[in-house]
Amino acid sequence: MTDFLQLSFAGLALGALYALVALGFVIIYKATGVINFAQGGLVLLGGYLTYNVHHTWGVPFYLSIPVAMILCGMVGAAVERVVLRRMVGQPVFAVIMVTIGLLFVIEQVVTGTWGFNRLNMGDPWGIKKFTVGDVQLSVVNLWTIMLAALVMAGFFLFFRYSRLGVAMRATAFDQEAAIANGISARRVFALSWAIAGAVATLAGVMLASGGSGLSPEIEFVALLAFPAIILGGLDSPAGAVLGGVIIGLTQTLTAGYQPRYADWLGNGFSSVMPYVVMIVILLIRPYGLFGTKEVRRV
Amino acid sequence: MKRNNRVRLLAVLGVLALVAAACGGTKKDSSSSTTTAKKTLSPGPGFDGTTIHVGVITPLTGPVAVIGNPLTSGTETWFKYINEEKGGIGGKYKVVVDKEDSQYKPDLGVQAYNKIKANEVVFAQLLGTPVTKAVLQQLRADQIVAAPASLDADWVRDKNLLPVGGPYEIQMINAADYLVNEGGFKGKTMCTMIQDDAYGQSGQRGVDFAAKDLGFTVKTTAKYAAGNPDFTAQIQQLKSSACEVVFLVGTPSDTAKLMGTAAQLQFVPQWVGQSPTWTGAFAKSPLAPYLQAHFMLAAEGTEWGDTSVKGMADMLDRIQKYTPSQQPDIYFVFGYYQARAVTALLEKAVELGDLSRAGVLAAVDKMQKTSFDGLTGDYEYGPPGTRNPPRQTTIYKVDPAKPGGLAKVKYEYTSASAKKYEFKSLP
Repeated sequence: MTDFLQLSFAGLALGALYALVALGFVIIYKATGVINFAQGGLVLLGGYLTYNVHHTWGVPFYLSIPVAMILCGMVGAAVERVVLRRMVGQPVFAVIMVTIGLLFVIEQVVTGTWGFNRLNMGDPWGIKKFTVGDVQLSVVNLWTIMLAALVMAGFFLFFRYSRLGVAMRATAFDQEAAIANGISARRVFALSWAIAGAVATLAGVMLASGGSGLSPEIEFVALLAFPAIILGGLDSPAGAVLGGVIIGLTQTLTAGYQPRYADWLGNGFSSVMPYVVMIVILLIRPYGLFGTKEVRRV
Repeated sequence: MKRNNRVRLLAVLGVLALVAAACGGTKKDSSSSTTTAKKTLSPGPGFDGTTIHVGVITPLTGPVAVIGNPLTSGTETWFKYINEEKGGIGGKYKVVVDKEDSQYKPDLGVQAYNKIKANEVVFAQLLGTPVTKAVLQQLRADQIVAAPASLDADWVRDKNLLPVGGPYEIQMINAADYLVNEGGFKGKTMCTMIQDDAYGQSGQRGVDFAAKDLGFTVKTTAKYAAGNPDFTAQIQQLKSSACEVVFLVGTPSDTAKLMGTAAQLQFVPQWVGQSPTWTGAFAKSPLAPYLQAHFMLAAEGTEWGDTSVKGMADMLDRIQKYTPSQQPDIYFVFGYYQARAVTALLEKAVELGDLSRAGVLAAVDKMQKTSFDGLTGDYEYGPPGTRNPPRQTTIYKVDPAKPGGLAKVKYEYTSASAKKYEFKSLP
């Protein structure tokens, strides 16, 4: 039982991390219809900006996170303004290729500025933990779960009650109708990239905290989070969170139990299992758990 | 048909020319190296008569750049020293290092190799087991010699490769022997945690060999894919087995995550890492107290700054002269002494009077025991079938006060088990 609880807690924390990454993907897709392959780059940039604000500028750690979120959000908005806006109306494939190109650009900028050495984030959590019964709850994992929940709640309130949130929903639903009602689609696009940048910063910080250290490979988490996005539904923040949690739990529990009870499946099956779950769910619900069903005339 | 005959005639003439050149080389062999160095060697691929080009294929970007960059800096520092203070190879041929980025990806490594091979005498560095394996068949076809920056035992018997250092298997055998016979861990529960690939298997082979020879059993082996996002399952697996010693095979990015998880889950065995598990940044991270208490490293040479070892004292002098900004880094040391082995090979080729590819390949067989002045064990080169790599390993503990974060516990520990280990040829 202890094993199960320990693995479940780790899976929940991993899922929360995936959810933070997935929310960045979803916000941009929901507003602009673009799958942003540069999201991993924003995670990377956000992590390094936090490091820079904290270590180089001497800002206290907890304050350095919101400062870096604003900076990374500004970078996201600038990227949209300078690059993506010119691609409006262009084929989806071309836009996706642009985001892939942006990923490489961000990667080069980050490694050119901060190098490849492993950096200590300087977070106060380190390897601290709480013990509940026989289960160890690491502080950094608790923070990750809490932040993902807070961001999820923030998204819900934002989309439900704020004018900008409603404008984003309207633009996502019918861009032309939204424009006809005086909503600035440009502002909505820029805002979605800014929010994606800010959320990516949180993901970057949590990935590099708790003793793991900051290094360029944290951007690869975006690839690991991809099944969560597809599974939850590309345009659903709630789906992103639920998808993240399902994938995190699946991965951790499989890694824990498969070698004991189904060793014949081979090594590394835990990294395959999220895709198996994704395929099964997509066969039943092709638009993901919470994705909007697209109706096409044929 | 006439055209074919002409081609054949040219080919025969070419072969005769090569034979004549080879005979010339053999003749020069009998003369002293000083005499040979005064002779002008024929230009060939990578050698224009005055300058020797050596290739380096390494991850300059990407996750493993943390190893590739300092390692290459070590290579460059050594060759700067050779060029400036020795006048070059054989006292007259300056060395130019041509670097290409592999990102630690075998496909990019092969591309980089094909891009520069026409202009290189040898490859002074091929970083990583996967990249070396990807390029190996082409090295054989092209008759080029390369120095792998990887301690895989598979390289020992390969004519086209010039390895340095004690292979991973030796590191793990010595570490196991040290723990059992000197560290007070005899009778303790032994386990392994390995990266699930060829590199991980190399360490596992060493532990398995030691287990058989020293009479212990490996109770549990936890495996993980490189880049694994969470290590709770693996740590729980080891914890459930009540492992008291865990031999670890991995790279620094995974070491950081799994050590963090182990500390949080209060799993406190004696960890013993194979050399590439470490990076100096750990000594200043939140993991440092845990690592100080529970982690040892099995690696080469001596700690950074130990001037009682001649090779280290010389290296520090040369860093002052040629790379003053270099920070303490075990991978820098590897690149530095690896370049020293490449220099020994090139010196031998010059001595034999032939810097062509065939000449360098022939020089491999003529190499003898090469000393690294204590930076790593002396390597008995020669025909690959008779090569004998160093059998010693230095055991380190973590000490944040030391440059590079490592303090030697046992310098150049050589176990009887390690001496028994036999290296096989690659197919």
